[in-house]
Amino acid sequence: MADATTTSGRRWGATVAGIVILGVMLFPLYWMINTALQPESGLLEVSPVPDSLDLSGFTSAISEQGGHLLTSLAVALGAVAICLAVAAPAAYGLAQFRLRGSRTIVFGTLITQMVPGIVIANALYSAYVDLGLVNSYFGLMLADASLGIPFAIVLMRSFMVSIPKEVIEAAEADGAGKLRTFVQVVLPMSRNSLITAGLFSFLYAWSDFMFALTLNTTDEVKPVTLGIYQYIGAHVGDWGSVMAASVLSAIPAAVLLVLAQKYIAAGITGGSIK
Amino acid sequence: MPRPRRGRRGRSTTAALTACSALVAGAALTGCGAGRDPGVFTVLNSSTDASYHGWDAATLKRCSAELGLTIEQQSVPAAQVMQKSLRMASSKSLPDVIQFDASEMPTFAEAGGLVDLRSLDLSTKDIPKGIVDFGSYKGTYYGAARTVNTLALFYNKDILKKAGLDVPTTWDEMRQSAKKLTRGSQYGIALSAGGAEDGVFQFAPFMWSNGGDETDLAGPKVAGALDYWKGLIKDRSLSRSTVNWTQADVNDQFMAGNAAMMINGPWQVETLNTKKNLHWGIAQIPVPNTGDASVGPLGGAVLTVPKTEDTGRQKTAAKIIRCMSSEREQITYARNSWMVPANEKAAATWRKEVPELDALADQVATARSRTAKVGARWSSVSLALQSAFQSALTGQSSEAALKKAQSRATSGN
Amino acid sequence: MSTTTATAPAVQRTAVQKRTDPARARRRRRLGQWGFIAPAVVFMLLFFGYPLVRNVVMSFQDFSPSTFFDGKSPFNGADNWSKVFHDDLFGKALWHTIVFTIGSLIGQFGIGLALAAFFTKRFPLNGFLRSLILLPWLVPMVVSGIVWRRILDQDTGVLNSFAEVIGLGGHTPWLTSPGMALFSVIMVNIWIGIPFNMVILYGGLQEIPKELYEASSLDGASAWRTFRSITLPLLKPVITVVLVLGFMSTVKILDLILALTDGGPADSTQTLGTLTYQNSFVQLDFGAGAVVGNVLILISAVFAVFYLRANRSEGK
Repeated sequence: MADATTTSGRRWGATVAGIVILGVMLFPLYWMINTALQPESGLLEVSPVPDSLDLSGFTSAISEQGGHLLTSLAVALGAVAICLAVAAPAAYGLAQFRLRGSRTIVFGTLITQMVPGIVIANALYSAYVDLGLVNSYFGLMLADASLGIPFAIVLMRSFMVSIPKEVIEAAEADGAGKLRTFVQVVLPMSRNSLITAGLFSFLYAWSDFMFALTLNTTDEVKPVTLGIYQYIGAHVGDWGSVMAASVLSAIPAAVLLVLAQKYIAAGITGGSIK
Repeated sequence: MPRPRRGRRGRSTTAALTACSALVAGAALTGCGAGRDPGVFTVLNSSTDASYHGWDAATLKRCSAELGLTIEQQSVPAAQVMQKSLRMASSKSLPDVIQFDASEMPTFAEAGGLVDLRSLDLSTKDIPKGIVDFGSYKGTYYGAARTVNTLALFYNKDILKKAGLDVPTTWDEMRQSAKKLTRGSQYGIALSAGGAEDGVFQFAPFMWSNGGDETDLAGPKVAGALDYWKGLIKDRSLSRSTVNWTQADVNDQFMAGNAAMMINGPWQVETLNTKKNLHWGIAQIPVPNTGDASVGPLGGAVLTVPKTEDTGRQKTAAKIIRCMSSEREQITYARNSWMVPANEKAAATWRKEVPELDALADQVATARSRTAKVGARWSSVSLALQSAFQSALTGQSSEAALKKAQSRATSGN
Repeated sequence: MSTTTATAPAVQRTAVQKRTDPARARRRRRLGQWGFIAPAVVFMLLFFGYPLVRNVVMSFQDFSPSTFFDGKSPFNGADNWSKVFHDDLFGKALWHTIVFTIGSLIGQFGIGLALAAFFTKRFPLNGFLRSLILLPWLVPMVVSGIVWRRILDQDTGVLNSFAEVIGLGGHTPWLTSPGMALFSVIMVNIWIGIPFNMVILYGGLQEIPKELYEASSLDGASAWRTFRSITLPLLKPVITVVLVLGFMSTVKILDLILALTDGGPADSTQTLGTLTYQNSFVQLDFGAGAVVGNVLILISAVFAVFYLRANRSEGK
C-alpha cells in the first residue's frame, strides 16, 4: 500500500519534471503567441501575459498571409507525394533486390546531404530556366521534394530490409508481380516508415525558404516562409502581426505532427536499429 | 486467378518506368510558354510595403491610361532586387523597367545590363546636375530618379522640451544632449551600425562631415568619425544593440520611446505618423564644429531600362519612366513618401507644401552620392567598412579596424 | 525523357519474343528491378549531382555579374581559391564553423539523449508531453530566428528582463557582443535540434529489450555501468545516424544565422555557410562563393569517409 503510493508519487514527480522541461523548451513559442496577442506593444517590453485578447495581429496576418499559407500547403503536399512516389520504390529496390551498385547508391544519398542548399539553389535556377520551371508550383514541388528524398530513401530502406524474404516470396508465388507485391504487400507493411518519411519531407518542404527565394522571380508562387520574410522587411514596427503570421505558419505542421505522432517513433526505430 | 507471370512482369516494369517518365515529361510540359505579351509591361521595384506598393500602383495606373498600355508592378524585398535582376538577365526574362537602389545601379551598369537613357530620348534638362550624376555611371545617364532622400536627425519634441534642451547642431552638443537624455530604459540617441548597407549609409554623414573619404578608409578623419560613435556607446547614450539594428529597427526604438533622438531618413515619416501622440522634429545631422558643412549621403532609387533584345520595348519603357518621373508624379510620390522630388521645379513646389521638412531638403541639396568616387567597387568598400565599424564599436581600436578595412577594400578589386 | 518512354514498350516486346532464353529473362528481370530505383537515381543526379559538379567547375571560373548577360565565364585557374584562402575572413569563418558544429552537436545530442532517457520512464502524460516537445522543430527556421532575436534583445528582450528579476544582471549582450554572439547562436541551434535528436534516440532506446535491463539490475550493476555496457553499445547505430545527419545539416547552416545576426557583429558569427552566401549574393563574386561551398562539401566528405571506415571495421 505505502509502496504503491510512493511509486505513484514518483510517477507524478516525473510528470511535473516533464512539464517543467516542456515549459522551458516551449517558452519561445509561448512568447511568439504572447507577442502576437499584444500588437500594440511595439518594442516596449511585452508583458508576460496578454492583458486582453487583441486578435488584430491575427486578422491582419490572415488577410495578408492566408494565401501564402495555402500555397505552402499545396507545395508541401505536392512535394510529399513526389518524394514518396520516388523514394518508396527506390527504398524497396535497394533493400530487397541485391542489385550491383546498390551500395554506391546508398552512399550517394549520404553525399546529397553534404551539398549546401544554396549551392543547389544556385545551380538549379539556370536548369529551371531551360526547363521553364521557374515560377511554377510544380517546379517548387520538385525542388522541395529533393530535400526529403535522400532521407526518405534511407529511412524506408532500413525498414524494408527487415521485411522477411518469405513474405515477398509468398506473394510472388501467388502470382503477384513485382509491382503488385510492392503495392499490396510491402507498402502496407511499411506504413509507419512511410508516414514518418512523409512527415519529414512535409516538414522540409514546409520550412523551405531557399528554393522559394531563388526559384521564383515573380509573386505567383509565394509560400509562407517567403511571405514572412518580406513581411519583416515591410512591417518591423508591427511585431504583433509578424508574430501572428509566425504562429499561423507553425499550426499546420503542428497538427500533422500530433496526428502522426504515434507512427513516428515506430517508423524511425523500425529501421535505424537494423 | 493467376495469369502468366511474364506478362505481369512486363507490365510492372512498364508501370515503374512510366511513373518516372511521367515525372520528367511533366517537367518538360510546364516548360512551354515563355515569351512576352506585347501589350503588357512590367516594372520591378522593392515596394513590398503595402503603402508603397499602393502608391506605385496608383502611379502606374495613371501612366497606363496615359500611354495606353498595361503596366504591371512586381515587388521584391530591396535586398533581392539585384539577385533577381541578374537571374532574369540570364533567363532572358528581364522586366521592362527596374528600379534599383542608386548604390546598386553601377554594378548592373558595369555588367553591361543597362541602356543609356539619353539614347532613348529622356531629357535631363530640368534635373539638377547632382541628381543627374546620381543616376549616372562613368558619365552615362542610366537611371532617372523620382525622388531622393538623405539622413537627418529626428528628435522627440516632448522629451527634449522636458529636459530643456535645444536641438543639437554640433557633435559636442549632440553628445552632451544624448548623455543628458539617457535615463532608465531610454537612450539619448539611436542609429544603425548594423552589418549591412544600412550601417554604412548611416556612417557616411559622420565620415564625410568630418572630412573623411571612402577612398582612404585608413585616414585619421574616418577614424575620428568612428571614435565619435564609440564615444556615444561609451557614454551609454547609444545602445550596444546598435550593431544589430537596421534603420527600421532604429525607427522602432524611437517610436517606442526607447530613444530620444535618432538618425534616420524621411521614408520613416509614414510610419512615424501612425503614432499620433508622438511629436517629432527634424534637423540637419550635427557637424564636428560650428560652421562645418553637414554632408549627408544621397539615397534613393533610380528607374532604369535593362538591356533586352527588343529595342521597341525599350523605347516604350523609356516612356513609362518619363511618365513615372514627370513633375506631377514626382510631387505625388514625394507627398506620399516624404522624400524630396528630384526635379528642381517639383522640389520647389513640394517645399512650399511641407515647410517642416525644410531641413531635409537643404540636406539633400548638399548630399553626396556613395558611388561617385568608387563606382561599382562600392560593395567591397561597404563590406570592409561594415566589418571595421562593427569591430571598433565592440572593442577594437578604430585605427586598427579601419586600416584592415582599407586593405580589404583595395584587395577586393 | 524520350528514352525512358521508348524503353518501356521495348521491354514488353522482348518479353513476348524471347520467353525461353534464361539469360535474357534474368536481364529483363534486372531491368524491371532497376525500374524501381531509376527514378530516385535520376532525381538525385539532377538535384544534387548536377549542382555539385557545376559548383566545382564554377570555382575555377571568373563568374561575375556580366556572366549573366554574355554567358561568358572564362576559366581562371586557381584565382578564386587563392583569393578566398588569402582572405582573413575565411580562417575566421572556418573556426566559427568548427566551434558552431561541435558545440551544437554536443548540446543537441546530450540534451536529446537525456530527454529520450527521461521519457522511457513510465509516468502520466508521458506521450502527450513527448509529442509537444517536438514543436520547436516544426517552426520554420526563418521564424525561429525572428522570435529568438526578440527574446535575446539586450534592452527589451525577455531573457534579460527575467535575469534582472531573479537578480542575475540583466544586461547580457547576447547578440551584440562579438564574444557572446556565437554562443547565443549555438544555444538557439541546440534548441532547434533537441527534438530531432530526442525522437530518434527515444526510438532507439525503445528497441532495447527490457530483459537486458532486468538482468543487469539483478546482477546489481550500477546505473552508469548499465548505461555503458548495455545502452551505449546497443544504441550505437542510432547514435551514429543522429550524429552523421546532425553534422551534415549543422556544418552548412545558413538561414538561422542570417535571421539572428547576419554574420555579425564584427563577423563574429560568420561561418562557411554565411560566407558562401555573402560572396555569391552580396559581393556577387560567384566563383569565390563556389570555392567556399566546395570547402564545405569537402569537410562533410571527410567526415563521411571516417564514418564509413568506422562502420566497416565494426561490421567485420
